[in-house]
Amino acid sequence: MRWTCCPLGLFLAATGAWAGDRVELFEKKVRPLFVSKCHDCHGAKLQMGGLNLASAEGFRQGSAGGPLVDEANPPQSRLLTALSHVGKVKMPPAGKLSEGEIAAVREWIEAGAPWPPTAEATPAAGAAFWSFAPLAPAAPPAVRNAGWARNEVDRFILARLESEGLAPAPPADPRTWLRRVTYDLTGLPPSEAELRAFLDDASPTARARVVDRLLASPRYGERWGRHWLDVARYADSTGADEDHRYPYAWRYRDYVIDAFNRDLPFDQFIREQVAGDLLPSSEPDGVNRRGLIATGFLALGPKLIAEQDKVKMFYDIVDEQIDVVGRAFLGLTLACARCHDHKFDPISTRDYYALASIFASTRQLAKLEGTVSQLLFVPLAGPAETARWEAHKGRVEAKRKEIDELLAEEGARYRDRLAPGIAAYMLAARAVYLDGGEPARVAANRGLDAALLARWVDYLKPTKERRAHLEEWHQAPEPETTARVYQERFLATVRERNEARARWKRAVEEAQAEGRTPPEPPRFLAGENRFYSEVVAGKGPLALPEKDREAHLGEAARARLHALQAELKAILAAAPPDPPLACAVVEGEPVTQHVFVRGNPAAKGEFVPKRFPVALAGETQTPIAAGSGRRELAAWLSSPANPLAPRVIVNRLWQWHFGEGLVRTPSNFGRLGEKPTHPELLDYLTARFVKEGWSIKNMHRLLLLSNTYGMSSRASHAALAKDPENRLWSRFLRRRLAVEEIRDSLLAADGSLDLTMGGSLQSGEGTDQEFAEARKSLNPDEVNRRLVYLPLRRSNLPSLLNLFDFGDATTSSEGRTQTNVAPQALFMMNSPFVAARASSLAAQLLADAATPDAARVAQAYYRVLSRPPEPEETDQAVAYLRRFPGGDRTAAWASFCRALMASNEFLYLF
Amino acid sequence: MNLVTPEVPRVSRRHLLRRTAGGFGLLGLRTLLADAAPAPGNTHPLAPKPPHFEPRARRVIFLFMHGGPSHLDTFDPKPRLTRDHGKPLPFQRPLTFAEGSTGGLFKSPWEFRRYGESGLPVSDLFPHVARHADDLCILRSMVGDSVAHGGAVLQLHTGSNTFTRPSMGSWVVYGLGTENQNLPAFITIKPGLSHGGAKNWSSGFLPAAYQGTAVGHGGVKIEDLKDPIEFLRNAGLTPDQQRYELDMIQKMNRRSADRWDHDPELEARIQAFELAFRMQTEAPEAFDLTGESPTTLKLYGLDEPETREFGWQCLMARRLAERNVRFIQVNHEYGPGNEVGWDAHSELIRLHTRTALMVDKPIAGLLTDLKARGLLRDTLVAWGGEFGRTPISQAGDGRDHNPYGYSMWMAGGGVKGGFAYGATDEFGYYAVEDRMHIHDLHATILHLLGLNHERLTYFHGGRNHRLTDVAGTVAFQILA
Repeated sequence: MRWTCCPLGLFLAATGAWAGDRVELFEKKVRPLFVSKCHDCHGAKLQMGGLNLASAEGFRQGSAGGPLVDEANPPQSRLLTALSHVGKVKMPPAGKLSEGEIAAVREWIEAGAPWPPTAEATPAAGAAFWSFAPLAPAAPPAVRNAGWARNEVDRFILARLESEGLAPAPPADPRTWLRRVTYDLTGLPPSEAELRAFLDDASPTARARVVDRLLASPRYGERWGRHWLDVARYADSTGADEDHRYPYAWRYRDYVIDAFNRDLPFDQFIREQVAGDLLPSSEPDGVNRRGLIATGFLALGPKLIAEQDKVKMFYDIVDEQIDVVGRAFLGLTLACARCHDHKFDPISTRDYYALASIFASTRQLAKLEGTVSQLLFVPLAGPAETARWEAHKGRVEAKRKEIDELLAEEGARYRDRLAPGIAAYMLAARAVYLDGGEPARVAANRGLDAALLARWVDYLKPTKERRAHLEEWHQAPEPETTARVYQERFLATVRERNEARARWKRAVEEAQAEGRTPPEPPRFLAGENRFYSEVVAGKGPLALPEKDREAHLGEAARARLHALQAELKAILAAAPPDPPLACAVVEGEPVTQHVFVRGNPAAKGEFVPKRFPVALAGETQTPIAAGSGRRELAAWLSSPANPLAPRVIVNRLWQWHFGEGLVRTPSNFGRLGEKPTHPELLDYLTARFVKEGWSIKNMHRLLLLSNTYGMSSRASHAALAKDPENRLWSRFLRRRLAVEEIRDSLLAADGSLDLTMGGSLQSGEGTDQEFAEARKSLNPDEVNRRLVYLPLRRSNLPSLLNLFDFGDATTSSEGRTQTNVAPQALFMMNSPFVAARASSLAAQLLADAATPDAARVAQAYYRVLSRPPEPEETDQAVAYLRRFPGGDRTAAWASFCRALMASNEFLYLF
Repeated sequence: MNLVTPEVPRVSRRHLLRRTAGGFGLLGLRTLLADAAPAPGNTHPLAPKPPHFEPRARRVIFLFMHGGPSHLDTFDPKPRLTRDHGKPLPFQRPLTFAEGSTGGLFKSPWEFRRYGESGLPVSDLFPHVARHADDLCILRSMVGDSVAHGGAVLQLHTGSNTFTRPSMGSWVVYGLGTENQNLPAFITIKPGLSHGGAKNWSSGFLPAAYQGTAVGHGGVKIEDLKDPIEFLRNAGLTPDQQRYELDMIQKMNRRSADRWDHDPELEARIQAFELAFRMQTEAPEAFDLTGESPTTLKLYGLDEPETREFGWQCLMARRLAERNVRFIQVNHEYGPGNEVGWDAHSELIRLHTRTALMVDKPIAGLLTDLKARGLLRDTLVAWGGEFGRTPISQAGDGRDHNPYGYSMWMAGGGVKGGFAYGATDEFGYYAVEDRMHIHDLHATILHLLGLNHERLTYFHGGRNHRLTDVAGTVAFQILA
């Protein structure tokens, strides 16, 4: 998109010279035409294509396609070509205006398109909200101190500072700048060699070279991918109730890191994350593997998969996706409109459910039904390969079922063989556990099997716990009678269940013969005869023993079992390779979506077709005829007609470099969000970003090489007084390192950071026993990979992450907080992790006995603080080591290294 | 360190919390350092804050019974169940957790007896707690929205069964701060790792300074709890050496603070290290039982294997309450040997007998001890699970989840003793009188602490949030 220098100003300048007839022309012919033919789509309520013809300002801003009037060549103005139906855009779409009407507009435009100021009484409410309005980029303003401005960014910042009577902070010294930019782009400190190289490079391109080097480093994607993962509320488990693992979430994480490293254009990044599975594929089998993985953005949200109200659960998943899409790409809290029209932004419940229709028509789960719903893992394979794999899984399952059935049958046979002896064994067991009889002798005397008797003794002997179903036995005045009662009840249960099963089998046969749905098998409740249930299961005395199971099988059954096991083995041996899987979404059954009144799925309101929010995309939209609509949503989100998406990401880029956004509520560009501190700069950057192909790395270069970025973080008294919150960007904002930077650079300091990229450090699927240690996320103390690669179990993030403000990985995060509390100091002072880093670094410093202490101190400073010590710091350190209590030299060095790691200078970027 | 000139406009509290959340601000410093100069606006996030009105309770001990104890077998007797045992439920059964395995009405296997002057009925599962009947305020009409554990546990702790929200304890310390800076303001003892896990003591969108500190977790034995709070002990240095090291850290930090014009953030970190050093000595003392008499240990059941674990947790709760920790949660969790805790989908008799035995005596001991020390007056003790259980059987001899009507109880902290509030229907399925939704429970707890639940708000994601969302009514009838 091209823009000219402030077209707005030209129009305003022209308003002084009104000729009565032109005003009359406008009021009598042009304005009524706009009202009757255009305002429905381009008016106060709706600005399709970003165009508002209800106000002079809107008219001057034009549409997303650019200004309506070509001042250099008025007859070629876009408005006229559109009205004449000669170009691609034909307006009004319902039918061409009459020649007389078009002539009136032409005459008005050729007269300079004057819009009388008196008639310009557009109420504020009618004007497009700033963030919804089309981009209005202006040229960088003139500044007095032109020498300070290194690039366009600086001119916007400086102009504002000058108008407020403030001077920018002096430049940061080169060392500070290098440490700042290196952490900023890679999350790691500069090495001693990098520092020396930079300080030695006197050329004017020294900084540009550093930025290029850092942008080319794979470490860049690891740091900037992590920024996006915050927005994408990335984690490796469902959190919420059951905290099931997302075993393949890591592919999405790796995709994000790679996207940043490759500088994937951000509009494409949006499209892939919303509808990557539907984008064209260059692979022979037509599967867009990368695109599928990218939809992890939608798939990896928190889910309550044990919720029993499955409709609520499903629409909670849909809601979560609307929320993350809204916050991440549009800076809007769309999910507020689930129960009522948005209270502050022009988002209606109709808008909400129109989007819900898109995500509800998307396949979210492998299986919704059941106590715990099943997560969806999508094979990254072509249809043929997937079919082979599914068929194989089916064969394995069928064979295992056959084996289970055989064992169940044999178990029943075993039970039935031994059941007539229940009373005898109960009495014998009593003689052992109560009367103290010697087991072998009791068995021999009564002609019973000693091993079986031992199992009965184990089962029946009293425990501390109350077992209600055995109380009758334990309190029996006449054990012989009671034993027979237990045996009879047991046999009765066997009979009842056998009969019920036989009835069911007959019913199934009948149903099949008559083509009806066969009935469900009978269900037996364990508690109906708890004695029976325990005796025949697990370690119960009449359960087929786990140990030496085959010895208890008949000849034929044993042969059959061996045959089945051999068949299973053969199937497994012939297994096709498992295709890689992704936690992704795919197209689902299209739904007919209604508004849910007050969010209640049971209270269906009017039907809503799939579409995008009217206030953003206009009332008239191309209907979504087939599919979920995700492809269309992705296209609209990333289209030039939507100024929000590029504004939001450009603001985030600014925020991630400068600590705060130009809009300080980076995920809320709505009315409750803050307004930009520098709207012209934001639009300038956004327009440039779009023009340069949505390249994030280009934007980095522009921002990082500005003098604005290069300022010192030291605030002058004047700046503190006039600009306490740094809304004028009168200085650089000092920031605390993020948890990843703290932990990774401590590992880097002693050289133990493992820079292997990608892959999974999590194993298994599903969840764990409630109290298992395995529920905790991997401990960052125990793995030396960069923190971004450690899996995150939502329900139990490592305490280190909580300690240093990682956030909760559950909702889209617009930025980390920076706390400063005593437990963080305790971590530095006492944690085994910091102690290990300090000891290891100390050992390396001491490795060469010939090195003088002063040189060691210098090395330590470089490794932890990326600078040499000043002479008095060296003296102080040497004195510290000499006077360390107890005199242990190794301990003294470790202590000194820890002190450096605990220092403010390490923890903060100035 | 006059950094901010007086004419600087006050920055909003919200803004400061967002920007330098948790920072020991200058006001916090003033309370710590005699020579520090005051500055406007900035406060230490955990500094004590005045409540909205005169509080009845100053702190909370929440005894959380994970799994859902049956109200029908503990504090809400239903003679009708005994009479109609085995008959079908005479009305449409609502959604249950384990669809398909439920049966007919199921009478309580336990006797109820009347206790104290109030004559409140308590079942034989809680003979020790029953002796405190005249201090108990039984809430018989609790209502939640989730029939599954995950949502129900989260809702009890955070008010929401869907979204991640700050937990009740975080809201309380956000509202009131704490009077003891040497201990965390919100401590949860042996919490569970499932059903929300850390979300149940997390600060959500509130600044991290308000998150709960977990002491161990469910399933960890007290013998294995060598460091109740992480990083309180230095394994390698003697106290002398550590002080020597800290002096070096502070020298370096002082140097950078000087260089950066006494940036308050840098100054605050210097103070954070001093505070951390003090916590190291004072916090372990709070967890050290060597000073407790054998009588006290016995009172909590530390002398018996069944009650040892939970007794230790309850005794810790008293020690922390004495030290003015604001919000203390004691969790009875699932664990090895007690795999399902209160969650008796089958074998109600065995499982509830076992679990009640583990907690009854320790809880009674805690109430006795708090009362003897004069702490019960201003400590609110609350007991309960994430839901109750169904009046119909499951699996023949268990009970399913029931969020539609169940019991919790409170004691001390300004609530009526010997009092039963609300009621369920004659079967004990639905709350029918004075229904007390979890939002109402939260509103009432905040009220007892002197906080108006509608005024305790935090701006996040475009709007003000409350613990009670857009609901919550204080149960004024239970106030003493």
